[in-house]
Amino acid sequence: MTGGTRRNWLLDLLLLPVGLLTFFPFYLVIVNTFKSAQETSSRPMSLPNTWDFSNYGNVFEETPIVRSFGNSLVITVCSVLLMVMIGAMAAYPVVFNPGRMNRLVMLYLLMGFMIPFQTTLIPLFQLMTDLNLVDRLYGLIALYAGGAVFVFFLMLGYMKTIPKELSEAAIIDGCSVWGIFWRIIFPLLKPITVTSIIFQTMWIWNDFLAPMLFLGSNRNTTLVLEIYKAKGEFSVNWPMFMTMTVITLIPIFVFFLLMQKQIVKGIVGGAVKG
Amino acid sequence: MTKALKQLQYQVFLLPILLVYTLFTIYPLLRSFVLSFTDFNGYNKDYNFTGLKNYMKLFADDAIVSGISFTLLFALLSTLIITVLAIPLALILDQNFLTKNIHRAIFFFPSIPSGLLLAFIWGFILSPVSSGVLNTVLRELFGVGPQPWLSDPLLAKLSTIVVATWASAGWHAVLYLAFLQAIPKDYYEAASIDGANRPQLIRYITLPLLAPAMTVSVMLLLTGGLKVFEVPFALTKGGPGFETHTITQVIVLRGITETQYGLASAISIVFFLIVLAIAYFQVTLMQKREERIQ
Repeated sequence: MTGGTRRNWLLDLLLLPVGLLTFFPFYLVIVNTFKSAQETSSRPMSLPNTWDFSNYGNVFEETPIVRSFGNSLVITVCSVLLMVMIGAMAAYPVVFNPGRMNRLVMLYLLMGFMIPFQTTLIPLFQLMTDLNLVDRLYGLIALYAGGAVFVFFLMLGYMKTIPKELSEAAIIDGCSVWGIFWRIIFPLLKPITVTSIIFQTMWIWNDFLAPMLFLGSNRNTTLVLEIYKAKGEFSVNWPMFMTMTVITLIPIFVFFLLMQKQIVKGIVGGAVKG
Repeated sequence: MTKALKQLQYQVFLLPILLVYTLFTIYPLLRSFVLSFTDFNGYNKDYNFTGLKNYMKLFADDAIVSGISFTLLFALLSTLIITVLAIPLALILDQNFLTKNIHRAIFFFPSIPSGLLLAFIWGFILSPVSSGVLNTVLRELFGVGPQPWLSDPLLAKLSTIVVATWASAGWHAVLYLAFLQAIPKDYYEAASIDGANRPQLIRYITLPLLAPAMTVSVMLLLTGGLKVFEVPFALTKGGPGFETHTITQVIVLRGITETQYGLASAISIVFFLIVLAIAYFQVTLMQKREERIQ
C-alpha cells in the first residue's frame, strides 16, 4: 500500500506523541541520575540544574554492582552454552535416527512447554536444598540447563531441513556418529543457534524468580537481584536507584542495538513454526 | 559396526537433556502432585495423606482466591488491550514514513530489559504521594489532587496492566508486522483494481491473513500473562492486601515463606490445570477461527 508524501508526514506527526510517551519513562530515569535526592522529588521531570555525575561514582563505590554484573555474565554465558549444546544434541538422534522410541522421547520433551516453572517450584526448592545447590552459581546454571527443551524444539525444526544425504555420505567416508554431529551437523545449525542464544540470553539475564529463590547471599547476587535489593536500600534515594538502573540498562541497550534485526528474525521464525 | 551399536551411539546424545529435564521439571511436577495430597510442612520427614483437604482449603484462603482471580484478570485484560493496540500499531509501522525505524525501535525496546526493573521505574511515575510524577502532571495540568495509583485496589490492578501493556505492545506489533510483510502485494493490487478502498483492503485482506499471527500472539500473551509475577510484585508488592497478588506470589508466600508445602503444591497443580485448559481452548478455538475466515 503506498500513500502520497503528505499522508506519510501525517503518520510521523501522529506517532510522535505516542513515541514520546513510550520513551518518557527512560527519559525520566536518565535525567534523574544527575540530580540530588531533593531535586528529584521537587522537580522530577525537568532537566537537572547542574549536571552532577557523582551518583555514578557512588553506585560503583556503595554497591557490589560490578560483581553482580560478573555473576550475571557467568550464569548467563554458562547456562546458555549448556542449553544450546544439550538442546542441539538431543535433536540429533530424533531427526537422524527416527523410530518409535525417539518419537516418544520427543513428546516427553515437548510436554515441558506446558509445565509452568511455578508448578514445580515447591519440590524444586526442596530438591535444590537436598542437592546442596542453593546459593551456588553452578546450582542455578544446572537448573537453567533444564530449560534446554525450548532450544531442542527450535533445533528440531531446523535440523529437519538438513538433507539426510549429508550424514549418509559422511558415514560412507568413515565418519563416526559422534564426529558427524560435531563436524558436520552442528556447524550447519549456526542460524538457529544464534536465535536460541538471543532468546535464552534475554530470559536468563532478566530472570528474577529463580535467583530470588535460589541465590540468597550478598556474594552471589545477579544484576536483577541487585536492583531488587537496591530498591529496598535506597527507597528514599531515587537518584541512586535510577543511576543503578541506567548502568544496568546500558549493556542491555547495546545488546538491543546490535541484535535488533536478529531478535526480530527470531520472533518471526519462532512464530511461524510455533 | 553393528546396527545396535550405531543406534546406541545416537541415543547417547539424548542423555544430557533427559537427565536435566527429568530431574528439574518432570520429577518436581510429579512430586508437586503427590505433595498436594499431604500435610507435608518441610520439617517433619513423615507426613500424612490427607486426600483432597488441601484442595478444599484453597477456596477458603483469601490470598489464594484473590491470587487466582487477579492473575486471570491480568492475563485476559492485558492480552485484550495489547492485541487491540499491537495490530493498528503494526499496520502503521508497515507504511513508509520518515521516522519509521526510530519509532519501531522505541516501541520495541521496552520488551528487552527485565520486567522488574521497568516496573520499578514505573513505581517512580505512579508514586501515590503528591510529588509522584503522574500526580504532579495531573495537578499542574488539570488541578486534580493526588491519586492512589498503587494503593487503591482497582487503580493498582489497572496500573499493573498499563505497565505490562507499555512493555509488551511493541514486541507483539513487531510479530504482526512480520506477518504483514509476508502478505503478497498482488492481493492488494488485484483488489484495488476491483475497486476496493483502503478500509476494505484492511477488512477483507489484511485482517483475515493476520489470523495465524493472532493465534500465536494471543497464545504467548495468555500463557505469559498467567505466569506473571515481576511487574505486580515490583509495583505493588501484591498489595493493597492481597489485591494484586499473582498465583506465583501466592505459591512463594504459602509454600516457601510459610512452608505449607502441601497447600502450596495444591495451588500449583490447580494453576497447571488452568494453564493447560486455557492454552488448549485458546489454540483450538483460534485455529478453527483461522479456517473459518480464510
